[in-house]
Amino acid sequence: MSTPEWEDVVEMPDELDDGTAEALAEEADEFQNMKGEMCPYPQVEAKKALSSLDHGDLLVQETDHVPSTENVPKAVEDEADAKVWRSGDGLYRIFLHKR
Amino acid sequence: MSTLLIAAAVGIALGILFQKGRFCFVHAFRDLFAFKDTRVTKGVIAATGLTMFFWSVAYALGYYQGFWTPGWGLTGLIGGFIFGIGMTYAGGCASGTLYRAGQGYLHFWLVLVSMGVGYAVFTVAFPTLQSLYFDPLTFGTGFTLFDSTPLPAPVVAVLFIAGFLAVYATVLGREGKGREKTKTPDAASVALAPSATVSGLRSLYDGTVEYLRGFTEIDDLRSAAKRPWDPRTAALGITVVAVVWFTQVSIVGVTGPESRWTAYLLQTVGIDSGSYEYWGSVLFAGDGVSITVDMVMIGFVIVGAFLAAFWSGDFRLRVPKRERLPNAVGGGFLMGVGSRLAPGCNIGNIYSGIAELSVHSFIAAAGIIAGVYVMTHWLYRDVGCAI
Repeated sequence: MSTPEWEDVVEMPDELDDGTAEALAEEADEFQNMKGEMCPYPQVEAKKALSSLDHGDLLVQETDHVPSTENVPKAVEDEADAKVWRSGDGLYRIFLHKR
Repeated sequence: MSTLLIAAAVGIALGILFQKGRFCFVHAFRDLFAFKDTRVTKGVIAATGLTMFFWSVAYALGYYQGFWTPGWGLTGLIGGFIFGIGMTYAGGCASGTLYRAGQGYLHFWLVLVSMGVGYAVFTVAFPTLQSLYFDPLTFGTGFTLFDSTPLPAPVVAVLFIAGFLAVYATVLGREGKGREKTKTPDAASVALAPSATVSGLRSLYDGTVEYLRGFTEIDDLRSAAKRPWDPRTAALGITVVAVVWFTQVSIVGVTGPESRWTAYLLQTVGIDSGSYEYWGSVLFAGDGVSITVDMVMIGFVIVGAFLAAFWSGDFRLRVPKRERLPNAVGGGFLMGVGSRLAPGCNIGNIYSGIAELSVHSFIAAAGIIAGVYVMTHWLYRDVGCAI
């Protein structure tokens, strides 16, 4: 496992359209309701959940905290591939596939 | 009247830029310590460096209203540390709290109220603190490095920025080299490699070019503007706004005006807040408790953040989880008290204070960052931090 690098160019995670996000959410192996949460609790919870999931499993976080859509994927970038869905009215889902 | 219009325009612009750039100093330093994320940190560094240069030019040309240079000493370290602990626990710094209040977070309205309680408690305790805390712990009168050398202010600013870049590039270069060594342990290539500073400067240059090239790849400006912005883009805008404010009113501060709002709001419910020494003679300087131009500006930051969030589809009335209430109440209170004990918040000390090269603010910034470091390690105690 590589350690996070100081100077990596941080790309924003890919965004999903409504249909794909809906279908993908059904496949979640673990779902975390992070509505009303503040940083850094979603990052910490995502790290904890991923450590108990298996390779290829899908963790979905539902959140209303905008910064989480960037810093949750960044916090677990060595463990999971991330995609994000934006509802357009302040609700988001973060899809994390464990590598 | 025209000053009020400037205050409204500056406040709205700052609110939009804070919201779009997620200009939160907790994010900037907590995520750096926790998992080496420098996205927002770079925005903070860019805004501070650019503002420092343009303020020094405005100062040298005489287009400025005044600096904010409190006396220097251990108060900056202690108050800054308390503020840093508080803002990391609350989940948002002074600017982050303001823009998220506009974005519909009830959590951050509660943080604002709790900061108000902190300001009020501090004000009541001020006469005692004056003799037991400020007098013994303040070592000298405040000053800015802009006018403490025979060099013109812009030269001082450029030297400071160059010195900072050299250190930053060296750290970057060392990190990069450490990375290469672990990948290819080849003694010959390491011996031939340029110094850490040079390779760091090169990667800094490449990063800037890549950032600028990002603008040419925007095909739909409207949808790109609706997505979150690179914090460095917000930094450019914040610099422009801060120069306008510096030439017309003052440096940019947040918790000073908020503390004045507390006095004003308490007065409207019948409390004679002007009779307290801290509010009456220090913050309002004997002019009576009324709405000042910087209070108007801070109020419009919330309005600007609301407009940006609403337009971007990020506005939502967000109800906090019950277990986050201690964060809002406790964190907000520590922010209120800490920002008065320092004095100054992350905007006053890290952004404006370093940009105006105030000696007090270097000490307070160190205190704030130390507070973030300690609190981040506590919040991440189960999963561990990278730094």
